[in-house]
Amino acid sequence: MPTKPTAPQTEDAALFREFEHTGDLGIELDAPTRGELFRRAAIALAALLVETAGVAEIEQREIAVEAEADLDLMHDLLTELLALFTVEGFIWRGAWVKEAGRSIRVTLRGEPFDPARHAFRGEIKAVTYHQLMVEGSPGGWRSRIIFDV
Amino acid sequence: MDLIKLSDHLWEIPKTGAMRVPGRVYASAKMIEGMREDPALTQVANVACLPGIVGYSLAMPDIHWGYGFPIGGVAAVDARGGVISPGGVGYDINCGVRLARTRLDFNFVEPRIDQLADALFARIPAGVGSWGAIPGLSIEQLKEVVSEGAKWALRNGYATERDLEHTEEGGMLAGADPDRISERAYKRGAKQLGTLGSGNHFLEISRIDEIYDSKLADALGLELGQVTVMIHSGSRGLGHQTCDDYLKLIGGAMARYGINLPDRQLAAVPISSPEGQAYLGAMAAAANFAWCNRQVMMHLAEQAFLEALSIAPRELGFELVYDVCHNIAKFEEHIVDGRMRLVCVHRKGATRAFGPGHPALPAALRPLGQPVLVPGDMGRYSFVLVGLETAMRETFGSSCHGAGRLMSRMKAKREAGGRDLHAELKALGVTVRAHSRAGIAEEMPHAYKDVAEVVEVMEAARITRRVARLKPFAVIKG
Repeated sequence: MPTKPTAPQTEDAALFREFEHTGDLGIELDAPTRGELFRRAAIALAALLVETAGVAEIEQREIAVEAEADLDLMHDLLTELLALFTVEGFIWRGAWVKEAGRSIRVTLRGEPFDPARHAFRGEIKAVTYHQLMVEGSPGGWRSRIIFDV
Repeated sequence: MDLIKLSDHLWEIPKTGAMRVPGRVYASAKMIEGMREDPALTQVANVACLPGIVGYSLAMPDIHWGYGFPIGGVAAVDARGGVISPGGVGYDINCGVRLARTRLDFNFVEPRIDQLADALFARIPAGVGSWGAIPGLSIEQLKEVVSEGAKWALRNGYATERDLEHTEEGGMLAGADPDRISERAYKRGAKQLGTLGSGNHFLEISRIDEIYDSKLADALGLELGQVTVMIHSGSRGLGHQTCDDYLKLIGGAMARYGINLPDRQLAAVPISSPEGQAYLGAMAAAANFAWCNRQVMMHLAEQAFLEALSIAPRELGFELVYDVCHNIAKFEEHIVDGRMRLVCVHRKGATRAFGPGHPALPAALRPLGQPVLVPGDMGRYSFVLVGLETAMRETFGSSCHGAGRLMSRMKAKREAGGRDLHAELKALGVTVRAHSRAGIAEEMPHAYKDVAEVVEVMEAARITRRVARLKPFAVIKG
């Protein structure tokens, strides 16, 4: 069922919190809706890769993923987004999410990554399945993701 | 977690629940106390559930919380009836370390450290948003790289025959199948041959400040005051994507083989299955990319030394001591339950450490045992060890791979807040060049265990013997 696209927010780092993990990078996200959870995850990934404050929203890209379980949807979405950065060199600051049944479509606004202008924060190798969590309740949605860095 | 003390440096996790073998952890009593709250010990027990695992699920003293396998984990599975687990190798397939020696004394280099660090920083790309040392490789060329490994570097003027002889597997793992690597993996790797990466990867220039065994040091061409170069990197995006591709494939196939494991990141299928064979072909290909990557970077480092110090290659005498991988699965023969068996040894953050006389070692090193290169944190020291015979009996010929993290990256960044880490490291005699401040903060010395304690445990257990200690004085970080 399509839902209304969610608006982008600028306080990217405030959308997630890191948790203690000895070797890798773990984050937790809360959101009022499922769509907003995926949107925040997309913004969080960009903010973990570069300082997004300097990213101009001048180009648009779309990513669509489909999976039976929300867990896989989260993993696959973030993996596709990571490839967008690592293969195509695109970094984003704005994200809008459309949900349709077991698929989601994310529209991203950003620009080509330029190491001279965008402060790189650190490489992310992959989105792991280890302790990956996506849960919804009447009170809201929560996800926990560990990245290999 | 229940732990039975077997000796001052070895602890057993008894077999319970779905564990097929007990776990064994090499650690001092002090280290064990620090580990009790870490999920790493649970991960040792989880690995013990893998079908076909033999002996023990092992953990080296640098063990810490990973994803699926602990970092510092070793598991051998029966080559015929066992499983292969991409998570038991990790995303950075054939992440590893190489050590090159020079003919230079620290006193000669000391006044020129800044120029040398600048030259290395300029010549060796981190690989994010920049081209690698060999830009514009086509997929066809990359297929040659993953088929040949360091031999590709030799064919293209980045290596010598001697380099290959001093690289584990000669720098080329057999069985690589370039067609098992996805197009996306090739695209991720296309710009990254000859790049360092970020995280815990580094290039470090050190001087040898301690020799523990002069006979072995002589044989490896190491002496006090000598300048050495250590490179820690892996298969870059090509390897990361390959692991990701096969975790998905194998995760989806597990149910067909009736395999159920406590952590999805441990996903595994029978070695003999089509999925298992496909992964092994892809893993070997990614491993070969990593060997070629480290070889190209060593060549770049040599060029940087020559340029910065205005000396001739003969004066520099840049030669590879050895190259080891510490994220890999390999087929090896080991004695299990009193008889020689072919097993697939998963080493996830663990180094092969074959003892003296092993036929897999090159003739020049065979009498000594395999060199084991163990980097510490950038403020303290790293070690050169050699494998001992006991390793063949107790650890499937494996030893530690590093210091092991003590502090989460988050905590390290928090503790680094407001501090001038460049100045602090300078005060320790270490010049740092890095692409990101966060990278230095996460990797600051006290985020790691003292690697000296780690190698002392391995020596007390007679798995490896210390040969030399390297004191870093310049570090390049991605």
